[in-house]
Amino acid sequence: MLQSIVHVCLAGLSQGMFIWLVASGLTLIFGVLGVLNFAHGAFYMLGAYFCYTVLASLGDNFWLGLIFGPLFVCAVGYFVERYFLRYVYHLDLPYQLLLTFAFVLIFDDLVKIVWGAGSIGSPTVPGLGGSVSILGRMFPTYSLFIIAVGPLVALGLWAALERTWAGRVIRAASSDREMAAALGAKVPLIFTGVFVFGTWLGALGGGLAVPYVGLLTPGMGEAVIIEAFVVAVIGGLGSLKGAFLGALIIGLLSSFGTRFLPTFDMFLTFILMALVLLWRPQGFFGEASR
Amino acid sequence: MNSKGTHAIYLAIILGLAVLGLVADRFVLYMGMRVMLLAIFAMGYNLLLGRTGLLSFGHGALYATGAYGMALVNLHLTPDPLLGILAGVALATACSLIVGFFCVRHTEIYFAMLTLAFGMMIFSLIWNLRELTGGDDGLVGISRGSVLGLPIAKDGQFYFLVLFFFALTLWLIHRLRGSAFGLILAGIRENNQRTSFAGIPVKSYRLAAFVISGVFAGLAGSLGAMLESNTDPFSAHWSHSAEPILVSLIGGLQTFSGPLVGSVIFVVLREIIQRFTQNWMLWFGVILLAIIMGMRGGVMGGLEKRLKRGPAPAGKGEGS
Amino acid sequence: MSSPLLRVENLNKAFGKVVTARDLNFTVEAGVLTSIIGPNGAGKSTLINVLSGLLPADSGHVYFQGEEITHLPTHRRVRLGLCRSFQVVNVFPHLTVFENVEIPVLAQMRKAAHLFRPVAREKAVGQRVMEVLERTNLAGQANGTASALSHGDQRLLEVGIALAAKPSLLFLDEPTAGMNPVERVDILRHIRRLSASGETTFVIVEHDMDIVFSLSDRVMVLNRGDIICDGGPDHVKGDRQVRECYLGEEVVA
Repeated sequence: MLQSIVHVCLAGLSQGMFIWLVASGLTLIFGVLGVLNFAHGAFYMLGAYFCYTVLASLGDNFWLGLIFGPLFVCAVGYFVERYFLRYVYHLDLPYQLLLTFAFVLIFDDLVKIVWGAGSIGSPTVPGLGGSVSILGRMFPTYSLFIIAVGPLVALGLWAALERTWAGRVIRAASSDREMAAALGAKVPLIFTGVFVFGTWLGALGGGLAVPYVGLLTPGMGEAVIIEAFVVAVIGGLGSLKGAFLGALIIGLLSSFGTRFLPTFDMFLTFILMALVLLWRPQGFFGEASR
Repeated sequence: MNSKGTHAIYLAIILGLAVLGLVADRFVLYMGMRVMLLAIFAMGYNLLLGRTGLLSFGHGALYATGAYGMALVNLHLTPDPLLGILAGVALATACSLIVGFFCVRHTEIYFAMLTLAFGMMIFSLIWNLRELTGGDDGLVGISRGSVLGLPIAKDGQFYFLVLFFFALTLWLIHRLRGSAFGLILAGIRENNQRTSFAGIPVKSYRLAAFVISGVFAGLAGSLGAMLESNTDPFSAHWSHSAEPILVSLIGGLQTFSGPLVGSVIFVVLREIIQRFTQNWMLWFGVILLAIIMGMRGGVMGGLEKRLKRGPAPAGKGEGS
Repeated sequence: MSSPLLRVENLNKAFGKVVTARDLNFTVEAGVLTSIIGPNGAGKSTLINVLSGLLPADSGHVYFQGEEITHLPTHRRVRLGLCRSFQVVNVFPHLTVFENVEIPVLAQMRKAAHLFRPVAREKAVGQRVMEVLERTNLAGQANGTASALSHGDQRLLEVGIALAAKPSLLFLDEPTAGMNPVERVDILRHIRRLSASGETTFVIVEHDMDIVFSLSDRVMVLNRGDIICDGGPDHVKGDRQVRECYLGEEVVA
C-alpha cells in the first residue's frame, strides 16, 4: 500500500513539474502582456520537434538538442509577437485569443508538412534512460530528473524577476504599462522580450518532453495547453507562484485520479478549475483586482 | 438596406435552397445540409459573441448534448425524429441553464475559461461513460423515421427538414436581433455597467443569451446526429467551439448575415482546399490571421461599409 | 408622503485605513437641489458609489422612499427610481444616440424582455425617447452614433440616459468635468430647468464652487468621511471650518 501511494505521488510530482515547465511561460506571458496564448502549446510542440531534429543531426546528443532546439522556436516567437500580436493588444479579448489560435492551426499543419503526419519515437537520454528501484518497484530515472528540473526553473525565474534589473522593469511594465512607459522603459521592447522568453520556456518544456512522453506527434501541444490553462487559472492567471502550486495540485490530482477513479480523472481536473474560478477567480495567488 | 428588401433577399435564399433540394445531386445536398447546420450553430452562437460580446468555449459541448440527447431517445425510446430533436434541444437547454448559471457570473477571460472548464466536463463525461455514450466510438445507428407520415430516410427528403429548421432559425434570430432584448444585449456588450444602471439585471440577460445560443447549438447537434446517423464525442471538445467562432469572424461578427455567409465560405472552402491538400487547417489559420490583422468586420462587414460609402458605426449591423 | 426621499443612517465605508464615510447620517428631501462638495479624497464619489449600489457599504442603512435599499443590486435601485450619472463619459459608444436612451426607457417601461417583438414597433417607447432627447437638446442628433458627439453633448447624453429611467432621485457625479465654459453654462441651464420641472430631485457632486453656490438649495461639505457643514449656500459660504478645509485648495468666492 505504502509503495503504491509513494509511486502514485512520484508520478503525480513528475507530471506536475512537467506541466509547470509548460505553464510557466504561459503564465509569464499572461502576467506581463495580458494575452492568454493558445500558441504556447504549439511552441511546446515546436520545441520538441526542433530538439529532436537537432539531437538527431548532432549524433543523438540530447543535451545539445535541448540547448539549441528551443533557440529556433524563440525566433518563431519573435516573429509572432513582433509582426502580429503587437497589433492586437488594444483589441477585444476574442481577437487576441483567436490570433494565437490561428497560429496553432498553422504550426500544427506546418509540423505535419515538415516532419510528417505520423508520430516519431524518441531516443532515450544517456544516463537517464533507465529506472531506479524505489521501495522495491521501478521508477523511471527521467521522471525523477523532471521532478528536479521543475523547482530549478522556478528558482531561476524567481531570481530573474526579483533580483535583476530586467526583472524589475518587467514587473513595473506588467503592473502599470503607462507608468512604466512614462518612466522611460521601452514597453514594446519589453513585451517582445518577455514573449520570446516565455516562448523559450515553452519550447524548453517541449524539449524536455521528448524523452518523457516518448512520442512526437503533430497536435501534441493541444493536450498540454489545456492542462497548462487549468494550472494557470487555478494558481491565478499571471501568478508564477500560483502556477507552480497549481501544477503540483493538478499533477497529483490526475495521478491519484488515474489510479483510483479512472472514469472521472479528467472530470476532476476541470471541476477543480471551475470551482476555483467561481470561488476565487483571481486564483490562489492572483491579485484581487477583480 | 430597408427591411422589406432584406426580407425579400432571405425569402429568395430559402426558395432557392428549396429548389436546390429538388434538383441537386446527393453531394450538393449533403454540402447544403452541412452549411445550414453550421449556420444554425453559428447564428445562435453569434448572438452571444457578436451581440453580447461573450466568448464561449463550451458550445461544442452544448452541440454534443443536443446530438447525444437526440441519439439516446432515438436508439432507446422512439425513432420519431421530432421527438428526438425535441429531446436533444431540451437536454442542451437544460445544460445551458446549468452551465450558464455559473458562467455568467464572470466576463471576459474568466467567462471564457469557465465555459472551457464546463465544456470539458461534459466532454469527459461523454468520453468516459461508455455504457451510456459509447465512449470514443460515439452512438451509432441513428435512424431517421418519418415526420408526420412523410419519410425522411433519404438525404433528398431529410434536406427539407433541415431547411425548415434553418428557415426557422433565420427568422427567430432576425426577430431576436431586432427586438428590445437584442438591443439590450448590444448595450451589455458596449457597456456592461451602464446597462446595469439603466435598470437592467445584466446577469439575467447574459444568461438568457447564453441559453438561447445553447438551444440553437443543441438544435444543430441533434440535426447533425441525424444527418451522419451517429454521434461524435469530439464534437464536445472545446476546439469544436472554434468552428462557429471562425464562421462568424469570416462573415462578420456585427452583422446578421455574417454567420450565414461565413458558413457557406467555410464549408465550400474546406471542401475545395481538401481536394488539393491534406493541410486545410493551415489555410484556415492563414485566413483567420488575415481577417484579424486586416478586415475585422468580416466579409459582410466590409461589404456593408462599402455600400454605405462611409465609416459605418462599428457596433451596428443591418439589424432592422 | 412625509418621509424623506433618501435617508442614510450610520453609514460606514473604508478602504483599508482610508475612511471615506464615517458614521454618516443625513436625509435628502424631495425637490431640494443638493450639492455635495469637499476637497479631493473627501469621499464624495465613494458616497455616491455606495448609495447607487456600485460599492457595498461596510455597515449602516440606506432607505429610499422609506424602503431599505442597503443591499439591493444596482438595477433594482434604478427601478425604484434612484439613478446616477458618471464622472467620466459612460455611454454606449457604438450605438446611436436614440438607442442610448432607448435602453433605459425599455427597462423603465418594462419592455426590455420582449424577445421577438421588433423594438421599432414600440411606439410608446419611441415617443418617450424623443421626449428625453428633446429635454436634453439632443433630438437633432438622434440617429448619430454616440461616440461622434462632442464632449459636451456626450455629457448631456449621459444625463439623458440617467433621466430616461424616470428617477425620482438622480446623482450627478461632476456633470461639468472636462467641459469648456460655454458647455458648462449650457448644462447648468439644463439642470436648473430639469430640477424646476419637479419630477426629479438632483444631488450633485461638484468641484466648481461657482456652480455649486449658484445652483444649489442646500450644500453638504464632506471632509475625510465626515460631514463638516450642511445647510444653505450662504450658511456654508460663511462657515469657518469649510474655509479652513479649502484653504490652499480653492478659494471660496
